[in-house]
Amino acid sequence: MATTERTFPSPFSVATPTGAEGWEELYPYYLRFREDQRESEESRFWFFDGMHNPQPIYPFDTIMVENWWVSCNLQTVRLWQVPPALGIDQRIMNGYIYCSPTALDDPDEVAARVPVFQRRAGYYFQHWDEIYAAWIPKAEDCIERLKAISFEPLPDKEPESSVTEHPGVYSSWHLLRRYDELISNMFEMGSYHFEMLNLGYGAYNTFREFCQAAFPGITDQTIARMVAGIDIMYFRPDDEVRGLARRAVELGLAPLVRELTDPDELMAAMAERSEGREWLTALEAAKEPWFWYSTGVGYTHTDRAWIDDLRLPFDAMRGYVDKIEAGEDIDRPLERVLEERARITEEYAEVIAADEDRAAFLELVELARQVYPYVENHNFYVEHWHHSLFWNKVRELGDLFVGAGFFGDREDIFYLHRDEVRSALYDLVAGWATGCTPRGPSYWPPIIARRVRILEALRTANPDPALGTPPLEIKEPISIMLWGITPTMVESWLDGGEDAATELRGVAASPGVARGPARVVNSPDELHGVQSGDVLVCRITAPSWAPVFSRVAGAVSDIGGIMAHTAIVSREYGLPAVVGTGFATQNIKDGQLVEVDGDNGVVRILDATAT
Amino acid sequence: MTAAEPSIVWLDEDGATPERLGGKFGSLAEMVRAGFAVPPGFGVTTAAYRAFVQAGGLDERIGGLLGEAPPDDLDAIERASAEIARLIRQAPMPARLEDEIRAGYAELESRTGTAGVPVAVRSSGVLEDTAGASFAGQYDTYLWIQGADAVLEHVRRCWSGLFGPQVLTYHPHGEGVRHAERAAMCVGVQQMIAARAAGVAFTLDPVTGDRSKIVIEAVWGLGEGVVSGDVSPDRFRVDKITLEVLSREIAEKAGEHRLDPASGSVRLVDVEPERRGAASLDDDLVRAIASEAKRIERHRQAPQDIEWAVDEEARLHVVQVRPETVWSRRPAKRIVEPGQGALDRVLSSFIRPGGR
Repeated sequence: MATTERTFPSPFSVATPTGAEGWEELYPYYLRFREDQRESEESRFWFFDGMHNPQPIYPFDTIMVENWWVSCNLQTVRLWQVPPALGIDQRIMNGYIYCSPTALDDPDEVAARVPVFQRRAGYYFQHWDEIYAAWIPKAEDCIERLKAISFEPLPDKEPESSVTEHPGVYSSWHLLRRYDELISNMFEMGSYHFEMLNLGYGAYNTFREFCQAAFPGITDQTIARMVAGIDIMYFRPDDEVRGLARRAVELGLAPLVRELTDPDELMAAMAERSEGREWLTALEAAKEPWFWYSTGVGYTHTDRAWIDDLRLPFDAMRGYVDKIEAGEDIDRPLERVLEERARITEEYAEVIAADEDRAAFLELVELARQVYPYVENHNFYVEHWHHSLFWNKVRELGDLFVGAGFFGDREDIFYLHRDEVRSALYDLVAGWATGCTPRGPSYWPPIIARRVRILEALRTANPDPALGTPPLEIKEPISIMLWGITPTMVESWLDGGEDAATELRGVAASPGVARGPARVVNSPDELHGVQSGDVLVCRITAPSWAPVFSRVAGAVSDIGGIMAHTAIVSREYGLPAVVGTGFATQNIKDGQLVEVDGDNGVVRILDATAT
Repeated sequence: MTAAEPSIVWLDEDGATPERLGGKFGSLAEMVRAGFAVPPGFGVTTAAYRAFVQAGGLDERIGGLLGEAPPDDLDAIERASAEIARLIRQAPMPARLEDEIRAGYAELESRTGTAGVPVAVRSSGVLEDTAGASFAGQYDTYLWIQGADAVLEHVRRCWSGLFGPQVLTYHPHGEGVRHAERAAMCVGVQQMIAARAAGVAFTLDPVTGDRSKIVIEAVWGLGEGVVSGDVSPDRFRVDKITLEVLSREIAEKAGEHRLDPASGSVRLVDVEPERRGAASLDDDLVRAIASEAKRIERHRQAPQDIEWAVDEEARLHVVQVRPETVWSRRPAKRIVEPGQGALDRVLSSFIRPGGR
């Protein structure tokens, strides 16, 4: 057991930020730490999942964490039966999600699970390509069904067809069913999300561990370069933007693109001329589906997609237009990337001394390459395309509530848990059916107003990186692979509070050293304030922050394991980056001069005074 | 010896073979042929040495002196060694040989565009620096020698170095080697690089034997500090495949070997305080050296130990190459358990996460 002085705060001792009193009402009982389970909950280790939810969670958005709570964990516990592990439990504290990896302690049970796991997981690996080939149409079909869901206001009177076609069920029933379909569609995609993911991470991680043993000191980016393909979907949106830039130059529209920085103004000006209309057609073609590209991780409704906010892709396009005009080649060097992948793999194989080791290396890289398209591409289907669409469908339902007088704004719906929305919808339907006033319009607005204030207050307090009792070891493989939770990481968190005043340590995610004023970004809205040469400091970065990456000098994040969505983009942009620092957004103040040492995973605060 | 056998052979000449130039200079000639940046120079061949000792019966007198000294009598060996050195210093040099060496030096002055070009004069034995026999530090090297007279004098010193007491008593491979060596000594005469920084590059990690790394040790000034060990070098670890600089350990370098104008010789002099803790190479140079080391290894098809120098214009020069002899002979360290396939390893990563 850990000594008393080296422990994390008890979940029962964390203060509620002023103004956030009563925050518990935002979340269902099963997501809260409960006094009646105090002893058990204090004895467990809880780490803050800022990787997926860097901000206090909106009540509706808990659907995402509740999804993986079931769909990811059931894989470990019920499906594959990963021998030493139970699932990753979760709770919410002050709006932030905390995860607790659980081990299976009974050695007989662990032993009994080994052959089952080997058989079941082995089946998936042996049939990987065909299972992935079948996965894509499942995901696309799920997205098509989501698109088909729509929320129209209930009609004043049932149409004539409700009589002549005598369906026997009416608008109210359809509305409730569509809502249930919406939620069930989310859980369906949520389940596909994890169908192959954990196994895929495992294969990649095994290759990575082999490389670290065979070539001590090899960087994670080099390992990734041996595996990564080029036909990866999340490069595609950026490729589309390059294409639009090229089209704009060809059509003589470059001056317009440069002059009009507001997307609406630019599109209006384009519509006035024939070349411009041609370009707009190209834009429309590119948008579906490639602009369903979240500006965040896709896990919360505040992560808007490019399609909702064209500033990010248009900023990027303007940059490409400038490059084309300056005579630069903006194509992604696909062939060179593949040649490099082949070259470095071959050269590493050459320097392995033992023949059996070389054979193992080549087998592992092949397996990692086999699983990698899924590992990389699921992200576009699930988090970007499906989830961005999902949030907008919820907004459509928000409009319906606004129309019925329940909410003042379509976004208010996110202040209700999905089960509360189900209740409110029933209230609305009952009011419509009976012709009497529903209770919602007087019931929900004060609750929403209170919750707006509570969430604002919760955002003012930074979450502890961990709560409860530090673990002696971590046996749950997903927390290690995905979140990078290791005993070393836990140690650094335990030390973090005192020594981190001027220096933070994290994972060296992208090489090089950069200095610049810190720009602390807590949400994607704040990205537009980032200036050229700034060092981006955030809880976590998202791949689609691309236009910002072309401006900043370096990137620092609080959270990030080796398979996080983040590090790849930093490397793609050649930016020094340190991820997983734990405390950067707390310790670094906006405007402070900082140094990002992406070679050694260190961030130094050079000038303590903020400008 | 045939009449056609030359007394001096340039590094870039067709006839620059290890048989004529010895191991050290023969390897450099191979580097020149492969297009690497090696400072220009020539070797005073093994044939030249033989012509010198055969003239006036010098070889017979040396043989007699050696025969009189019992191999286990150190005092006697030292006396014989001193007497041989005196003979070699005083014996007349055949006029044609002396003319050829003087002409060689004049040619080097012309090739480098530098009158009185400073040169390194060093021994190069036939079996030296071949895989398996290093003879490390047994032979002589003279730095910053200027003028044909001084070159001639130091060629003689290298020759007499063949009979230094340490050489006469160094026989890890038996008597035969000693005799073969004695008949096969070349002396290299090569332009000195006025190095801003210099050092060695290993094409494997000398600590772990990891062949995916290049390790570079570098000091300010001439490379003598790294070789002799009297200056702690900066140490850089580079990924051989991607040429990423993986680590940089910068040492406090209080001294550097460079020309002391007062004495006209190379000495260990103090480094100004502001340069002591500074990196002797920037990342671009580290990568350039690593890239060159990788090419040399590839050319020679085995791990190498390379001496290099960077001049004031940041140009890189290769000054010595030799096969790595320690790790190349050890059995390889194993990583995987035999018979465990890729899928088994992946499944194990779930069963025993973190390798437990």
